[in-house]
Amino acid sequence: MGFKGLFESGQGFTMTDVEGKLVPERGRMDVEGAFTHVSSSQVNVAYKSTHVINYKRTRAEIGQALRKKPNYLHYDLVDKHRSSPLQKGTDNITVETDVKAPRDYRFIMPEFMPRPHFEYRDRVLEKLERRDMLRRRTVINIPEFYVGSIMAVTVSDPFAPNKKNRFLGICIDRGGHGLKAYFVLRNVVDGLGVEIFYQMYSPTLHSIEVIRLEKRLDDRLYYLRNCPLEHSTFSFDMEPIALPRGAQVPVNTLKLKLNPKPWDERWERQDLKGIEPIELTPKMIKGIQKVHNASATPWKKHDLMLHYRSKVNEEEEETIMAEVYKENQLLESMRKTSKATLKKKK
Amino acid sequence: MASKSLFTCILRPSPITLLCANNNNLALLPSSYACVQQVRHRRFPKFVVRPTTRKVWHVRKWTQKHDDKLITSNEQFIQDIVVQNYANKSESPLKDAPWNRNPYIKGTRRTGVLALKLGTMVQWTKDGKGINVTLLQVLDNHVINYVPPELYKFYPSHLPHHSDRFGLQVVGALSCDPRQFSKPYNNLFVKAGVPPKRWLTRFLVTPDAAVQPGTPLCVNHFRVGDYVDVQGRTRDWGFQGVIKRWHMKGMPASHGVTKSHRKMGSTGGGGDKDGIWKGKHMPGMMGNRFSTLFGVKIWRINTKYNILYVRGRSIAGAPHTFVRVSDTVLPTKRIKAENAENVPMPTWFPEDETEPIPEELFDEEMFQFTSPSVELEAES
Repeated sequence: MGFKGLFESGQGFTMTDVEGKLVPERGRMDVEGAFTHVSSSQVNVAYKSTHVINYKRTRAEIGQALRKKPNYLHYDLVDKHRSSPLQKGTDNITVETDVKAPRDYRFIMPEFMPRPHFEYRDRVLEKLERRDMLRRRTVINIPEFYVGSIMAVTVSDPFAPNKKNRFLGICIDRGGHGLKAYFVLRNVVDGLGVEIFYQMYSPTLHSIEVIRLEKRLDDRLYYLRNCPLEHSTFSFDMEPIALPRGAQVPVNTLKLKLNPKPWDERWERQDLKGIEPIELTPKMIKGIQKVHNASATPWKKHDLMLHYRSKVNEEEEETIMAEVYKENQLLESMRKTSKATLKKKK
Repeated sequence: MASKSLFTCILRPSPITLLCANNNNLALLPSSYACVQQVRHRRFPKFVVRPTTRKVWHVRKWTQKHDDKLITSNEQFIQDIVVQNYANKSESPLKDAPWNRNPYIKGTRRTGVLALKLGTMVQWTKDGKGINVTLLQVLDNHVINYVPPELYKFYPSHLPHHSDRFGLQVVGALSCDPRQFSKPYNNLFVKAGVPPKRWLTRFLVTPDAAVQPGTPLCVNHFRVGDYVDVQGRTRDWGFQGVIKRWHMKGMPASHGVTKSHRKMGSTGGGGDKDGIWKGKHMPGMMGNRFSTLFGVKIWRINTKYNILYVRGRSIAGAPHTFVRVSDTVLPTKRIKAENAENVPMPTWFPEDETEPIPEELFDEEMFQFTSPSVELEAES
């Protein structure tokens, strides 16, 4: 029952459950189990007198009132209020865990994972957002793709002659959480590099097709801007190549050679695997060392809390992915039946 | 230029001389003749001096619990009793007969609700244009008290411009266990017959829109397409310097500058305009004040989870702060009396609806994710 959490006052005084008892964190338990206070200042005897309408605050209390403090509730406390027996009229989300998603499912649809920042988490908002995304997936097919895959996208464009535009290119970036998910395609048109940013769940998208499904060695391929144009040139008439069933997604281990300087970014400072080793000048080496020293954080690998907060925890990840997996299986079965009926009609 | 003209000296007398003039030579110097020094300042201060004393009507809210030695079964027993007393009541919390309901007329001001800010999201219109929305959840709201204008006139919190037009409607959100609150705070909720609330606020309402204490408020109080004012508390930044608080420029990092890289420049001019004027931007406490966003459109409503989808991302405060949501006061966007047939007055009651309400309500221009993609018409 989520009722116990309501004792938390939200004023920096938290309670923990020790052997079924609610005990302030600052207190200690005796051998006999009796509760003793660390200092006598915690027992505010003056407040025991009731019906004090207006009271004079101590100097320490005034100082505390002036001090900076968070004026929002913790998301766990909000969840406890939602599931409290005292609350009526508003539903709370329910967790169903009868199916289990495959382990790599998270990498196929990374946009379903919420933003891991704990201040911005809200389970009801995430649920409603996921529901909107799954609804959109019933209308258009958003296939599995990765950075490095070659894709073609059709959108409704007010400036195109037929009010529709088809663009084909290599996916150089992918990101965003929830409905804000995006990907970027790059191609060369009339000798000029063109990059287009697409919102994945925008209703202006009509179709997304994967021409060649593969991965590259890096997560972001913006260095293609400083490579010869032949590496980002793809014919608009390319025909899709389907992978055999159950085959692993191939990794393209192509290593590109960068154009001579000037560059858009200092590529030598980034740990890129998809480019040939750069001939480093003394100035470059100095810059690399400078950046390395400035951002040197050898203690970070020992910071367990930082590691824990940098991503959504595994249990929650499993429940989210199970929900998405269940919905997607339903969708796929619907698609198969519709295809079968179309074939019969022909 | 160097010497002050006599004219300016007469026009700008010091307050001390003014006082003397009033005391001694009242007849000689009529009040209309006296010129008061013009003070340039903003209409209301942008910063808040945090009070070190409480208001007269304030009661202590939080107390420490003294039942630490309870065993688990006794703790469970007390929790059961709390639930039984408040949630599983057989009788209605309303002690009087239901109040009369009036139609919405010109000048009516309804009560608002307390909502929880959840976060932001992207939605699209039917043209394919993206819009940012903020989600506000109306969770566990009850009307706690109503004070009619005749009584409110004599309250210490009454302001002159309220006159006798408005009464007070006290609204609370998030039921809690009464043991963590003080006795005077718990007594505020006896009249309404609801559990004590984590958060209390008051709205000014006209007497024809007064709601009976004990009535639950929910998201159906508003309609899709209406405009609301949203008031929230900004993040608390504590004591901040002038660069963060007022976006001043500071001074350069080098070129002979010492010890004043992040300080403000001069505080004012000299001569006639000397001295530090009222409202001068200086370092101090930043944030933790109410700021209002006027005329925000409601794009979508979820009646199952009681959620408002409201335009924009600029509602003040971090996620999970409380915001006050009420009908807008903007003259062009407020509810007109001629279009007010479906407005729930004074609030929405479940017995009004004969048919079950749909779970989700959309604005006409809003894109629904189940409908096909946006197709633009080709020019002929």
